[in-house]
Amino acid sequence: MTIAIQVTVNGQLEALEVEPHESLLGMLRERLDLTGAKEGCNEGECGACVVLLDGRAVNSCLVLAVEANGRAVTTIEGLGHAGALHPLQQAFLEHSAVQCGFCSPGMIMTALGLLNENPTPSEADIRQALSGNLCRCTGYRQIIDAVQAAAAALGAAGQAGRRP
Amino acid sequence: MLRRFEYTQARSVEEALALWQGSPDSRYLAGGTDLIPRARATGRAPARLVDVKAVPELDQVRALPDGGLSIGAAASVARVATAPEVRQRFPVLATCCQALGSYPLRQRATVAGNICNASPCADTAAALLDLDAVVVASGPRGVRRVSIHELFVGPGQTSLERGELVTAIELPAASAGARGQLGRLTRRQGVDIATVAVLVTVLPAGSLRHRVALLSVSPTPMRVAEAENLLDQKGPDGAAEAAAIARAACRPIDDVRGSASYRRDMVGVLLERAVHALAAERGGRGA
Amino acid sequence: MNARWVGQDVPRVDGLEKVTGAARYTADVKLPRMLHAKVVRSPHPHARVRAVDLGKAARAPGVRAVASGQDFPFHVGIYLKDQTVFATDRVRFVGDAVAAVAAETPEAAEEAAALVEVEYEPLPALLDVRQGILPGAVLVHPQLGSYQKVPWITPEAGTNICNHLKVRKGDYEAALRGAAHVSENTFVVPQVQHVPMEVHVSAARVDLAGKLEVLTSAQSPFTVRHLLCACFNLSHGDVRVSVPQVGGGFGGKAGINLEPIATALALKIPGRWVRLLIDRAEEFYAAVVRQGLVATLVTGVDRQGKVVAQKMHYLWDCGAYGGYGVNVVRAAGYTCGGAYEFPNVCGDSIGVYTNRPVGSAYRGFGMQEIHWALEQQMDMVAHELGQDPVEFRLRNCLGPGKRTVTGQVLDEHAGRVDKCIHKVAEAFRRPLEEKPGLLRGRGLACAVKAPAMPNDAASSVLLKFCEDGVLEVLVSGIDYGQGLRTVAAQFAAEALGLPLHQIRVRNLPDTDLSPYDWQTVASRQTWATGNAVLKAAEKCKAQFFEMASQVLHAPVERLALEGGQVVDRGGQGSVPLTRMVMGYQFPDGHTIGGPVAAAAHHVPEGLLFLDPDTSQSAKPVAKWTFGAQGLEISVDPGTGQIQVDRVVACYDVGKVVNPGLIRGQTFGGVVQGLGTGLMEELKVDALTGRVRNASLVDYKIPTSEDLPGELEAHFVETPQADGPLGARGIGEHTMIPTPAALANALFDACGVRILDMPLTAEKVLRALQAKRAKE
Repeated sequence: MTIAIQVTVNGQLEALEVEPHESLLGMLRERLDLTGAKEGCNEGECGACVVLLDGRAVNSCLVLAVEANGRAVTTIEGLGHAGALHPLQQAFLEHSAVQCGFCSPGMIMTALGLLNENPTPSEADIRQALSGNLCRCTGYRQIIDAVQAAAAALGAAGQAGRRP
Repeated sequence: MLRRFEYTQARSVEEALALWQGSPDSRYLAGGTDLIPRARATGRAPARLVDVKAVPELDQVRALPDGGLSIGAAASVARVATAPEVRQRFPVLATCCQALGSYPLRQRATVAGNICNASPCADTAAALLDLDAVVVASGPRGVRRVSIHELFVGPGQTSLERGELVTAIELPAASAGARGQLGRLTRRQGVDIATVAVLVTVLPAGSLRHRVALLSVSPTPMRVAEAENLLDQKGPDGAAEAAAIARAACRPIDDVRGSASYRRDMVGVLLERAVHALAAERGGRGA
Repeated sequence: MNARWVGQDVPRVDGLEKVTGAARYTADVKLPRMLHAKVVRSPHPHARVRAVDLGKAARAPGVRAVASGQDFPFHVGIYLKDQTVFATDRVRFVGDAVAAVAAETPEAAEEAAALVEVEYEPLPALLDVRQGILPGAVLVHPQLGSYQKVPWITPEAGTNICNHLKVRKGDYEAALRGAAHVSENTFVVPQVQHVPMEVHVSAARVDLAGKLEVLTSAQSPFTVRHLLCACFNLSHGDVRVSVPQVGGGFGGKAGINLEPIATALALKIPGRWVRLLIDRAEEFYAAVVRQGLVATLVTGVDRQGKVVAQKMHYLWDCGAYGGYGVNVVRAAGYTCGGAYEFPNVCGDSIGVYTNRPVGSAYRGFGMQEIHWALEQQMDMVAHELGQDPVEFRLRNCLGPGKRTVTGQVLDEHAGRVDKCIHKVAEAFRRPLEEKPGLLRGRGLACAVKAPAMPNDAASSVLLKFCEDGVLEVLVSGIDYGQGLRTVAAQFAAEALGLPLHQIRVRNLPDTDLSPYDWQTVASRQTWATGNAVLKAAEKCKAQFFEMASQVLHAPVERLALEGGQVVDRGGQGSVPLTRMVMGYQFPDGHTIGGPVAAAAHHVPEGLLFLDPDTSQSAKPVAKWTFGAQGLEISVDPGTGQIQVDRVVACYDVGKVVNPGLIRGQTFGGVVQGLGTGLMEELKVDALTGRVRNASLVDYKIPTSEDLPGELEAHFVETPQADGPLGARGIGEHTMIPTPAALANALFDACGVRILDMPLTAEKVLRALQAKRAKE
């Protein structure tokens, strides 16, 4: 038996019929073709599936689709696009913070969740917040640099704490 | 693979209890961060999940009239870790909440879920044990208050009765202002389940002030009363002796995170360090 | 060439799609009416397969295809065809594929897989590589002598040895007898997993005209096609393999992996896509892993501290199948001496089958494992002689004019490990700050690696101009983050003097449409594809010059390419490339030339096979990349925990093509190296053969909190004679010396030696306690 839900995804209200045992990650990827969030482990250990739920970073593999009913979900696709990148996306580009790119959407969304909560994080804050987002390629240095740069850029633009 | 189940959502505690009764194999769902991956890994899911996050009072973190604190069962670990009343009055719990899982995981995980899963490594259990928390549960036979010291029965097992729903966890006023040191050994510096954790807490008043909780070294999170008594008598000078007591009291096993013997040794090392760190902190404050 | 683009911090050309979520990986591609596959895997490490009954599974709801070894008894393997698509007569590790089902939903597939009935007769299992070479050992492959193979590997029928490379140089025995000091030690490296963030996934469809299409997360689409053709007896024209974005490989997606199983199912149900996406647990125990190693070294030195005799005995745990791993064994053989000149050598690199997870390529291709032994051994010998380990290394290291273990004399273009050692030593001059309660130490290790590939391994490219004047660059290496697309653009821009925005790299390789490339492995893409791009660019240039010569009435020799124009250096004018990209039209309407395009390839030059008895060869490999790393650590004497405070890495890369990318390769490699050095190990149960830590909960890799406080990347640029603008490979090298440097730093900090990787806190503490007990 499916359940009717209404979720605001990247600003668009979506009315969907979901299975009770369907994950938010599955719903985003299979029903809405938002494949930016990745399945890396399906047990909340890798962070590749992180999206924002009401502005907070969550592992979408551990959230049921029905649990998102009436709430707002932001995925990497809702963040920015060519010509209008979010400062975090811009900073990831400029700091060579991307290699294979598989972890990048989750990494960026976790960083965004952090900046929503703490617009001026220290390096230790960033390392701690990103510690549940695994990256096998970069060694993290350039990712941390990028998040710091984005925080500075958002602060300078007076956008810190802005919730997309 | 997540098996099919029925999802229901409760708007009140009463409704939650009724929904639970309505199916022979129900589970309450709070954060789901343990329940969902376990259901996937085992290929077994309950027949019905009763989501309790929409029950208004379960979401609250509020001061109790007597000076204690009530933490609603649906409040996320992240929320508890950052709540001003927790940080200021029960910082030990904030510390243990910060140690649990990853940043995104903490946004969903709940303190109630953490203790109901009754894992020997449940991070928040260390603080709740040291702070003498009381678990408030509603069930078919009414509301029951269960001391945290009576909650854990074995790995994954609690003394909660079938169908009982934890609605809140209360921290007594007597524990307010307690300070603690958490020693937590992991295989890497980033997010990991503790191979061993030791939390030493000092309550602000009373003659029995010390608390020692151990994680990942016995079938359940545990306190070591004998070590506490010794610390109450001898203070930091008793650290080595208390450590020896704790080493003897714990019952660790070998697993992929570490051997029993290493765990036992680390209980001693972490305990001593925590005691000295607490003393140094006190000294630093001139107390 | 006065480089304008090469050497610049050009942003990654595929960065935009990756930061916006637009990049599509295999599992992101929507395939119409796709079926989901599930593999039935052996629960036994070793067993005879008595019977496989697919009946119940085939009748289960939603099931559309079932397959087993009965239908597909075909052999597969890149260098040694020792594996079948599904197990036929026996299973050889926990996780060995026995059958597979394809169903309408993942749930239906999983439920049906559980209905496949397999009758096993358990056999004694071989779970320790050291037992594998003893007389009377359990035989993992009794049919070893009958397998097809490439000529340059030497399996020994009737044993568990799937390859054995012997290196003999000088007179080892005599030199050892004359040595003033002899040291012998045995080192151990466990099997580890690649842990790419994207697990293995392959999809296949056979259309009704019989054409097989495969979409797969792989490092080598052309090799996948070639091996699928051989396995299923198909023509290359009937098979099309394409690779979307790849979420990390590290060697684990080299060669062929899940593709034959997906293909087998697809052959059973023509017209339908079948996707096999394994889960993270299967990735740990059923996908390939890095081979384990037991290395015994004997070093004889003279009174001056020069190594005169060196014996190296490498015993590789290849796991259940050695199709790819045999070449790791070979590479470790001809590189057995590492970064040093040993005049008298006895080297044996032996690959041994066990009933453990399947070994294969892993970033570094055996080099991190042998360096774990070699670089600790050099440190140990130096300390035994009372010599400075840095000086000891400098005295014995390779360099121009020195002879490798295979007798190759290095020339002045070979790269300079001595300069890398000096750079790290220089960084170490800063005094090591004390930290209360912690033991501080620093250690150094060198590294060397050559590309391990067939002598004819080729990369080819196609350059073609579009109507808008943009150059499209088609390359077929896989860019899974190392930056191939970006450096290909840089080389093309450089060679044709075009701005970067006028270069468009087309790179989602498709064997029907893309130029041939052997494999993306061996740190070979910047070098091989880079060379091919430069050659193709020269051909394009020639086409422009031919047209311009007629337009400008000037001989070709007088023409030059400057700022997007062909200029007559005799001063008679110029013509912009944009007027010629589709051919040049004169004012009267007549047209010369046509769309400018060129193909080119690169194949290593002058490589010679190894002598079968001694492995001597004047040029066994295309190039060597040398480097060194230094680590500063703090050791907690109470818990045994190691904190890495600083890493200084230096490599002779010939030419830094892109500083941002090469720093990324260095940091990433160092942190991956710290993972294997500190925490990673596949824990295989000694009785059941099961992997006990097959999840990211139980198998830990480094996080953002594990990265060292200070990370420095330095580069020496001794140009590679046959490298594009002097560049040589670097992708793998950055993780090779890290664990050995860590172990050397541990010794420096507290005087304990740990010879088996990884350096867990528990091992360190026990070693410290043992040392204290002795004192």
